[in-house]
Order: sequence, then structure tokens, then C-alpha cells
Amino acid sequence: MPELKVNGLRTNYQLLPGTAGADPWLANETVVFIHGMGTDSLASFYLTLAPPVAAAGIDVISYDLRGHGRSERPVSGYTLPDFVADLDELLHALAATHPVHLVGNSFGGTIAYSYAAAHPNRVRSVVSIESEPPTDSWARKMAGILAATTQLLEVEENYEWIEATFGAHHRRLARLAGTRFTSTTMADEVATGAMMTAADVAAITCPVLSILGRHGYQSDDLDVVTALMPRAEVFVFDDQGHSVLVERHRAVRGLLVDWIRKHAAAPDQPVSP
Amino acid sequence: MPDTTTPPTVDPVAVFDGVVELIGGLVGDDLDILGVEVRADTAFHEDLGLESVDLVTLGVLLAQRFGPRVNLAEHLAEFDLDDVIGLTVGQIADYVTDRLAAG
Repeated sequence: MPELKVNGLRTNYQLLPGTAGADPWLANETVVFIHGMGTDSLASFYLTLAPPVAAAGIDVISYDLRGHGRSERPVSGYTLPDFVADLDELLHALAATHPVHLVGNSFGGTIAYSYAAAHPNRVRSVVSIESEPPTDSWARKMAGILAATTQLLEVEENYEWIEATFGAHHRRLARLAGTRFTSTTMADEVATGAMMTAADVAAITCPVLSILGRHGYQSDDLDVVTALMPRAEVFVFDDQGHSVLVERHRAVRGLLVDWIRKHAAAPDQPVSP
Repeated sequence: MPDTTTPPTVDPVAVFDGVVELIGGLVGDDLDILGVEVRADTAFHEDLGLESVDLVTLGVLLAQRFGPRVNLAEHLAEFDLDDVIGLTVGQIADYVTDRLAAG
């Protein structure tokens, strides 16, 4: 499968070219899907949003973050700047010359915000799904969730409970996350270091679409997250927890393609009305 | 214009064997170690211990072997999560056979 060395790490990625001629207005648009932390991989985008987005005529890049999926899993090196540097090198290696739309799920959205702040000229827009920028408040929340999860997954009997409560599939996912968290410093490292201030977040100038679940990870401070980015468009799914991407992928697909159409660069050859 | 040519003859058994061979490559030696016989009702995740990311790889391998009409990712994008979780080898082989028979 396609692999690249990114910052010295074997990185698994998939390209899905946009269907030629599907929509000239979208011919120069590229979406980069960035998955979440722990149990996630490029599959959660590739098996939901990637095919219909490509069919609309948009080029799609998906990749496995370091430590996830079929990418290399170093013992340490999991700070936010590491993930941002990986994304930057990947985009250069794949010669993504036009500014791209970054679409991130959960922690992937946090990477997208960091990247947009650091490389404003390379980002056309940010679409975040159940995520928020890496502020001090995010770091506290993330550290708490990761510490609790790691503690849970270190105890063998808890896997029995997970299977009995959520089913065999969740036991497998928990095992996967347990391996990733206990064999690396990922859970300890990711919420450390300098975070973004409110002014840093306000300085993100590209269009932002924030898609949230009413009962997801941002439910306690939905207003705070929204107030951080007053120019962002916000879409909230009611009766929905954190798994917006897998449980609402058909609805997200529509939101995403409409969003990219709205924020596409002018095509090389304008279409007649 | 409607396609009036006869659809190509597709041998479902040969397709199934081809799919099993590709999956064997994904699972590697574990298949022998586990002593798993891959059958139509063998579940991709549960029985073979594969991850969703392996399903993506299988999709690419299927397109290489059987041609671009076989687009597993596009097919699965219409599924709900539970259906993807419970996907069997037989369902994958049936999808490939259907796409090839569609001509």
C-alpha cells in the first residue's frame, strides 16, 4: 500500500482522485482527512466520506497518523507540533500545491486548527468534527480523558466489562487503543507544551465549519467553543454523542460537499451560468 | 445507449478463492497459526482479527486484481457501521461477483 517516509516515520496514506469532469467548479479542490486518536485510523473517513467526496470531483488525501493504523508507531514523539509537522511534510511530499481543505475528526480537528494557525497560506478551510482548537482548556480536558482511558485499559478485567456492556467490536477497539496507549507515551505527551491563546485562535483567518454533537466531548462548553471562533459556522446534531462521523456520515457528507463548493477557489476555466 | 452485449461469465467460486487469497496476504502467517479456515461466513473483523484499515487495503487490492469497477470503499460508504463491523468474506466475494457480472 502507498507509504511515505514522513519525518523519518513510515506513513500509510491513500489518495482518491476526484472524478474528472464531475464538477469543474471543484476541479482544483483537495480535501485532507485527519482521523482521531486512540482507536481511529484513515478507515473511518475512507469508508464513509472519501468515496462520495471524490465522486463530487474533489481530490482526497487520507493518512494514518503516527502511532495509528498502518503507520509506524514510535515509542515517543506525540506532541501536537509532531503531528502538525507530519501533516506539513506529507502535503509537501504529495505535492499538494493548492491550499487544501482540512477535515479533522476529534483530535484530527485539533491538528487541523494548529496547522491552519501555523500555515495559513496552505489552508483553504477547516472543517472540524467534534473537536476544538488546542487551548489550555482543551489540554486539561484531553489529559483527563486520556488518563482515565489509559487507567481503564491497563486493567485486564475491564475488557470483559467493555464487551459485556458495548459488544465484542468495542472490546477489539479498546484492545487497539490499549496497545497504542500503553506501548507509547502518546497519552502522556499529546496535551503538553504550549497551547493556543484566544488571540491565536481568533487569528485563524480561513473559513471554519465546526460540526458538533449536542452530547459530545464539547457538550459541557459548547458556548465557549463556539465563542472562541465567532466567524465559524457551527452545525450541531441533536441527540448525538461524540461519534458524529460514523453515526451521521450521510448527513456530514452533504454538509461537507456543500461547504467545499461554497469555499472553492475560482476554477481555471469559469463555468457558464 | 443500453449495453446489449452479453455480460461476461463470472465464476463465483474463482472470485471467492481470489478474495480469500488476497485476505490471506493481509492476515499473513496468523491465518495458519490461528488455524482459521476462511469460509463465506467468516467475519472480516471478528474472526480474522483484522482492522477497518485493512478493509481499505483489501479494497485497493481487489481493484488491482479485478479492475476499477470493483470499488469496495464506495460500496461500503453506503453501509451503516454495524454492517461494516459484521462484514463477512462471502459478502465481499458476492459484491465482487456482482460488479464483474454487471459487465
